[in-house]
Amino acid sequence: MTTVSQRPVTIAFDVMGGDHGPLEIVRGAAQLTLDTPHIHALLVGDRAQIDQALAQVRHHAERVAVHHAPDFVSMHEKPNVALEAKPDSSVLVAARLVREGEADAMVSAGNTGAGVLACARTFCLIPGVRRAALATVYPTAVGRGEKNDPFSLILDVGATVDASADDLVAFAVMGSAYARIISKNEHPTVALLSNGTEAQKGPARVVEANQKLQHVPGLRFIGNVEGVDIPKGTADVVVCDGFVGNVCLKMLEGVSETVIELARYAYKEKLLWRAGLAMLSSGIERIKEVTDWEQYGGAPILGFDRLFIKAHGRSKSRAITNAGKVAARAVSKDLANAIQGMLPKS
Amino acid sequence: MSASPPKLPVKRIYRWDLDKTYLQTDFDTFRQLVRTAFQKAHEKKAVPGAAALIRELRAQGDSRLCIVSGSPTQMRTVLAEKLKLDGVEFDELVLKDNLRNLVRGRFKAMRGQVGYKLPVLLESRARAPVDAEEVLFGDDAEADAFIYSLYADMVAHRVSEPVVHRVLEAAEVYSDDIDRVIKQWKEIPQADPVRRIFIMLDRLTPPAAFAHYGPRVVPIFNYFQAALVLLGDKHLTAPQVLKVMIELVQTSGYNLLTLSNSFQDLLRRGLPIAGVAEALVEALQGPAAMFQMVRPMPDIIAAFSKRVAALGLQPPPPRVREIDYLSILDDARPRTHKQRRKT
Repeated sequence: MTTVSQRPVTIAFDVMGGDHGPLEIVRGAAQLTLDTPHIHALLVGDRAQIDQALAQVRHHAERVAVHHAPDFVSMHEKPNVALEAKPDSSVLVAARLVREGEADAMVSAGNTGAGVLACARTFCLIPGVRRAALATVYPTAVGRGEKNDPFSLILDVGATVDASADDLVAFAVMGSAYARIISKNEHPTVALLSNGTEAQKGPARVVEANQKLQHVPGLRFIGNVEGVDIPKGTADVVVCDGFVGNVCLKMLEGVSETVIELARYAYKEKLLWRAGLAMLSSGIERIKEVTDWEQYGGAPILGFDRLFIKAHGRSKSRAITNAGKVAARAVSKDLANAIQGMLPKS
Repeated sequence: MSASPPKLPVKRIYRWDLDKTYLQTDFDTFRQLVRTAFQKAHEKKAVPGAAALIRELRAQGDSRLCIVSGSPTQMRTVLAEKLKLDGVEFDELVLKDNLRNLVRGRFKAMRGQVGYKLPVLLESRARAPVDAEEVLFGDDAEADAFIYSLYADMVAHRVSEPVVHRVLEAAEVYSDDIDRVIKQWKEIPQADPVRRIFIMLDRLTPPAAFAHYGPRVVPIFNYFQAALVLLGDKHLTAPQVLKVMIELVQTSGYNLLTLSNSFQDLLRRGLPIAGVAEALVEALQGPAAMFQMVRPMPDIIAAFSKRVAALGLQPPPPRVREIDYLSILDDARPRTHKQRRKT
């Protein structure tokens, strides 16, 4: 039954385009309606598929609405071409519904480029922000904030390939506000990613950004960090441009996949190595638990007046539920205003 | 509370279960069971909108309210008092005599629902006018959808005696009780009175779990949904539906979003209620000036229209089909508390 004290928040879910099809997205959104009475789900996509999925899962129908979208952008499509050809694709319809106030934020597990482009075409940039940034979390060696969160935030990881010094400053402010609200880390440390810790190291825009960041009020800027500092967790928020961030992220992902491959090889190769791995298994499980990216649900696109959480393409229902929770929290805490309030006045 | 309606010939019978259908009852654990047993009338809470819906259904004065509950007969006074407090006037209140079952050593009958409710329903039907229509209200905690559907099909003679026999055996009904049910059934004049069976989704069972009962069974998340369907079925008028809606808004925190989502949920399930939005608009703008009463939500109609438009084409209504009771015998078997918790 409906007894809600918090202001209701509606999250638009782009149901199409994820690797596991609409069922996982609908399951995740349905679970959200059971877990949190103040969050409503607006499911955008093929109505027949949504209805079929929804009928099979426990959900709170009072907190679910469906909006039919006849098209969707698949993973392999070129974002700009696909969005031009499919003005009624689910990701664009979801973004429009957010702009029109039917929903407060959106979540998609579909084509990342299409999601970012749909936001760029539909939402407005926060005054003082020139370019948006895609942020992601990365597991580190240290915990931070009220929740002892092991994740640091890296941004930008692909939305703005060539960022200026002012863009990097805006990214730092956006990342700091996001970490404060989502990770409950009241004073997150912020660093610039460079090829040395000295303030004068790196390309001109990074050096200039370093100087400017030292004077941003309310920002806990700790200077430059190197790539090695990302997994160490030296900073809570690591700032870079989209090109560097994307290369860095892919490399980190590649390293962790290689480690897993090596462990698999070791497991098969020698009985002694297998025994060693077995002895470590509870520790490995624990690491898996604390570094479980699904608890974060996805990566936020920061800089727009509305929030978009890009869930991983292979997200299962749990990640989608959490992406919805993260989005709702950002809306409740008025992330856009928090960012605007911290930006240096030009 | 509405004034007592004039006594007219009975055209409609509304049959209600109590626990989890009319009352918000928790008895999944022993502690909850004890607490429920000792609650006073004013401590018991009705499911939001249930009392308003019953009052509106009864307002025409040509209906009968028959309540069949698995609560023990010892609770009659407190339950009757609760209904009176809510302004609900009933014609029948049948409770389960489990003390008698205990004394007779009929332990299976203490748990069983089919063997208890089916004979009570048939007995009540025997006293009803042949042409009286029925609408039944139950929940997803026990076997209400199964029992009500079987009852409807037995009265309509759409189910054979051997099938009824097998069902009752599966439901662990004692053999002498089975004979009594069959005898009672044969004495009832054939009719097809049951129009709708509403199942309140107390446990949020996915609606698809009731698909095999056909479109007569309508799982609902709240009584606003039941009121909308009953408006479509012409059991209620639009102003009456608005009264149910107002009670939900004023007493239980329902709002524009939850109401319009509830409306759209029914549309998506193919229930023929698209026209009811227009009827509600008329009621809001009509001489009864219902608009004044829903002043906190003047945008309700716009919200409903938006939810209709968001869906594109309306799906075809669900297909009417015969229920294969033998394939769903599990639904008839008594559930243990453990099983209930699992679901």
